[in-house]
Amino acid sequence: MSSRKLIMLGRVFRTGFVNLFRNAWLTIAATVVMVVALSIILLAVVLNMTANNAIDELALDLKAEIYLNDNVSEDAVAQFRSGLAQLDFVVGTDYISPEDAKRSLTETFKDDQPELIEVFVLADNGEGDALPASIRVTVDDLERMPEVKDYAETSEYAGIVEEVSLGKDDSSAQETIDKAAAGQKYVNTGSIIAAGVLSLVAIMIIFNTIRMAIYTRRDEIRIMKLIGATPDYIRAPFLIEASLYGVLAGLISSGVVYSLVFFYGGRLSNAAEFAQTYAFFTQPRIIIVMTACAIMTGVLIGSFSSMLAMEKHLKLKHW
Amino acid sequence: MILLDRVSKQYDKKTNKAALERINLHVEAKEFVVIVGPSGAGKSTLLKLLTREEKPTSGKIIVGGIDYEKLRDKDVPYLRRKIGVVFQDFKLLETRTVFENVAFALEIVGMSGKEIRHTVPKVLDIVGLRGKENNLPPELSGGERQRVAIARAIVRQPKILIADEPTGNLDPKHAWDVIRVLEKINQYGTTVLLTTHNTEIVNKLKRRVVTIQGGKLSSDKARSDYHGKQAVVR
Repeated sequence: MSSRKLIMLGRVFRTGFVNLFRNAWLTIAATVVMVVALSIILLAVVLNMTANNAIDELALDLKAEIYLNDNVSEDAVAQFRSGLAQLDFVVGTDYISPEDAKRSLTETFKDDQPELIEVFVLADNGEGDALPASIRVTVDDLERMPEVKDYAETSEYAGIVEEVSLGKDDSSAQETIDKAAAGQKYVNTGSIIAAGVLSLVAIMIIFNTIRMAIYTRRDEIRIMKLIGATPDYIRAPFLIEASLYGVLAGLISSGVVYSLVFFYGGRLSNAAEFAQTYAFFTQPRIIIVMTACAIMTGVLIGSFSSMLAMEKHLKLKHW
Repeated sequence: MILLDRVSKQYDKKTNKAALERINLHVEAKEFVVIVGPSGAGKSTLLKLLTREEKPTSGKIIVGGIDYEKLRDKDVPYLRRKIGVVFQDFKLLETRTVFENVAFALEIVGMSGKEIRHTVPKVLDIVGLRGKENNLPPELSGGERQRVAIARAIVRQPKILIADEPTGNLDPKHAWDVIRVLEKINQYGTTVLLTTHNTEIVNKLKRRVVTIQGGKLSSDKARSDYHGKQAVVR
């Protein structure tokens, strides 16, 4: 780039900066609205990811239980398990022997319902087979849980599988997942609408700010045209001014959202559902990326509004 | 330097009334030409055609070897950098000092601060405004304001200077100050086109006078042939 072009670039940037302070109140109004819009967009991203991770974490607690017939050979069980493990959404298969099942039952009910344990002891009659052996299947995609049942109930495994339970009776985990999913849906819809409306308001405010800036500088613009300024030289300061609203708003909104992330996330990060999300968002690399994205979105909104205003009011087509 | 060949300009095609009609004009380099005519005769339209603020409806315009027919919109700013323009209402930036107003013409072409600080005082010397660098336009007399406008128009050393009624808002003393500056600039080799209503100036200047009436070029007289109103009526 030639030195003249660099000098001119410096001048248009300086003019853009000066205009930013010249229209201080309009700058504040435009920036505040854009800060709110960008904060909502950023919060939506954070909340969406938090909900996703929490659901994934909770989903790990929701397992399919495949009860096996008595007297199935170890080889047959091993073959069945290896077939299950090959399904791409299955992340784990644990074999629970009748003894393990009994231990687990005793552990679960020893304080609250000891009479239940007695029933099983009687049924067992010292043979240790009142409870069937089972395979507990962990999946990473809840939607595909029924496929475990389909797989287990194929005729090939009819001699092995007695019954399949998809954990519908684990009502608390399922309920939490359903609530989280519903919340996520509300957050998504609400944030898209709010961010859309506020972006529109930001566009309108910046449009008017630039329109007024063009009006106040109309004599200067006319003189510039008459003494040989190029259209780009005239347009650039307005574009820079509006883009600077975006940069400011991006930085502020990122600061606001990260204050919330550190404040609330720090408190929630002990819970397994939120630990991963908190660790992810507080990585320096992610903080930089989030801030850069907020700034870029702000600059896009700013420059788009500015271009609209220039197209309508600057009248540079007829030279 | 300037050639107009059967140039016509019609603003409203419905009324069939032309602002300029088949104007032929040839101005040599370094000439000083005074364009006279009553209000609405088409003088300003002629100057607007030369600065390409308007396009002719028909005819050919060539300025400094540039054929306007072939001139693309994106090249217009570069054409205007070769032509200095002075307006009756000065068109100064009221919030900028004399120095800044003149420097403005250099800033938009990317001249460095050092070059600007070197060039502007020299031009202010030519127009007799040394010492007024830091004044704002409202602090100046009409004549001084017009000289700031002239300084801004000539600071890039254009080959052509167009002055549209530069003395229109000035008293006789200040009007002559401005005319003398224009003569001085012409002596340095710049072609000057001046439009005016002022018969006294036209008579005393003794320069080539082009008269426009009702959009038509009614007379084109060399310096010694022009004798005030008679020539205008011819």
